[in-house]
Amino acid sequence: MLVDDNSADNYYHERVIIKNDAADHVVIKESGLDALEYLESTIDPVNPLPDLIFLDINMPGMNGWEFLEEFKKLDKALQSKLIVIMLTTSVNPEDEALAKTYDILAEFKTKPLTKEMLEDILMKYYKHSDPRV
Amino acid sequence: MNQVKYSELTFQAIVEATPNAIVLVNKEGKIAYANHQTEILFGYDRIELIGRMVEILIPERYHKNHPQFRTMFFSSPETRTMGSGRELYAIRKDRTEFPVEVGLNPLVTVDVTMVLVSIIDISARKKAEERFRLVVESAPNAMILTNKEGKITLINNQTEKLFGYHRNELIGNKLELIIPTRFRGNHPHLRESFFSSPSVRSMGAGRELFALRKDGTEFPVEIGLNPIDTDEGTVVLASVIDITERKRHEAIVTLELKNKELEQFNYIASHDLQEPLRTVSNYIQILEEDFSEELSQEAKNHIRTIQRATSRMSTLIRYLLDFSRLGRDRKLVSIDCNEIVENVIADLNSLIQTTGTKIQVGNLPVINAYETELHQLFQNLINNAIKFRKKDTAPQITIGCENYNEHFEFYITDNGIGISEKHFDRIFQIFQRLNADREFEGYGIGLANCKKIAEMHGGKIWIESELGKGSTFKFSISNFQV
Repeated sequence: MLVDDNSADNYYHERVIIKNDAADHVVIKESGLDALEYLESTIDPVNPLPDLIFLDINMPGMNGWEFLEEFKKLDKALQSKLIVIMLTTSVNPEDEALAKTYDILAEFKTKPLTKEMLEDILMKYYKHSDPRV
Repeated sequence: MNQVKYSELTFQAIVEATPNAIVLVNKEGKIAYANHQTEILFGYDRIELIGRMVEILIPERYHKNHPQFRTMFFSSPETRTMGSGRELYAIRKDRTEFPVEVGLNPLVTVDVTMVLVSIIDISARKKAEERFRLVVESAPNAMILTNKEGKITLINNQTEKLFGYHRNELIGNKLELIIPTRFRGNHPHLRESFFSSPSVRSMGAGRELFALRKDGTEFPVEIGLNPIDTDEGTVVLASVIDITERKRHEAIVTLELKNKELEQFNYIASHDLQEPLRTVSNYIQILEEDFSEELSQEAKNHIRTIQRATSRMSTLIRYLLDFSRLGRDRKLVSIDCNEIVENVIADLNSLIQTTGTKIQVGNLPVINAYETELHQLFQNLINNAIKFRKKDTAPQITIGCENYNEHFEFYITDNGIGISEKHFDRIFQIFQRLNADREFEGYGIGLANCKKIAEMHGGKIWIESELGKGSTFKFSISNFQV
């Protein structure tokens, strides 16, 4: 799942994921609220639950941090099935430090998503099996 | 006769009733009368006093001069206090002394002239005064007691320290002595208005106050004013605090805040600038990957030019951010400059080898500096000295340092292409480049970094050069004590 208000980035990232055969299905949400709504209404196979979320920080309305706060209130079982990775343009060490305080955040990555980055993530969290992003 | 007797009785009744000790003394200095208060105060029975010389009530050290003063008084008798300005003491029967205030009243009758002496024990007042003096003396602030006329009557040790005066130089002098000249004119007026409605308050609300030391230097102060009622009228106790340190601290805090703001601005700006740039470069990649067959060679060349420009701009933004973050969380450490230069030379080894550069390093000092930044400074300068070499001349670089006690002055001399004097300032500005030439490609950030690094070490950087005749870059670093 890609949570980012930047549609150009979403298009590009989706393309990288598909091209590298990293996922069967990519859900794109352009706001934190839409993403939350989706997560709360996941029913296989209509709205499949994603395995991996790439989350942007700077979004209008609900930003990445606020999304995380709301995400923490979701069903724990649901939370535990998900890997959340921050994917941002920010190089601000303060953002990176803040990211470290969130247990639910697996990684802090700088855009753009690359083939190498994807391979690392798959290796680390899925041991080659294809996740649903 | 009855009349006289009556007035005598009345006189006696009054004298007995007054709360002060009263002694009647004749021209020869003999005590003619003493009241009951005198008995209490001095511990004598009045029988023991009447007919005796008045010196019985005066400590022996004053005996020698006393008759002389008495003669003077009787030569022009008038009502006055005794010994103006001097401290007076009396002595009891048990030989203990106590401070007194003495009033003299001539009593002229037909037969004789006598003096009615009224004596007030001022021990309690003296004790209170002494306590006050001790409190003032032990105050952590400079305390200055001033009377209505603006004369200094008391100061403490802190005042001596703060202003550099000995107390003898201040007491009795006008307060204006320790006020900077430009504020002196208005001060008497301000003082008058304070005394017209005295209250405890701080001085010069909202204004910046300054005080003047003996050596002529000024310093910022905060002053609290306390009116005190005394026998000599209202006086004002001023408590003076030197706020130089506080001001300095405030300035530093403000500066840190501004720096922090600037840094945040840089992060946000660099983020917002990077984002569209990344989109451009991402989509160029898509074009190259997905439409390669449909694009002509010419279109592909244009795309490559766009890609180069984009990545250059991305680098510039990153350098701008690095520049603003230079020296963040820095700490002064003891650094052997010989080691730093050795490391830089090792880092640049391949460049030095391929260009045949010869570097001569003099004996460099051990200084307190910011390590990463100092390394970067030497690296940039040595790198430049090699980079801006003449086409057919192998670079020769000399590095050295002069110790000027207050600061160190480093120099890096090369035999490169040199710089015309009119560009001396420009080269240290960010993103300024002199050579459009491909072979001197760069981002125009190195010397701007160098300048910032020298400045954060309390120094500066400058160049001595002539076009075609090599350059000498010099920079100074404060001799920081840790």
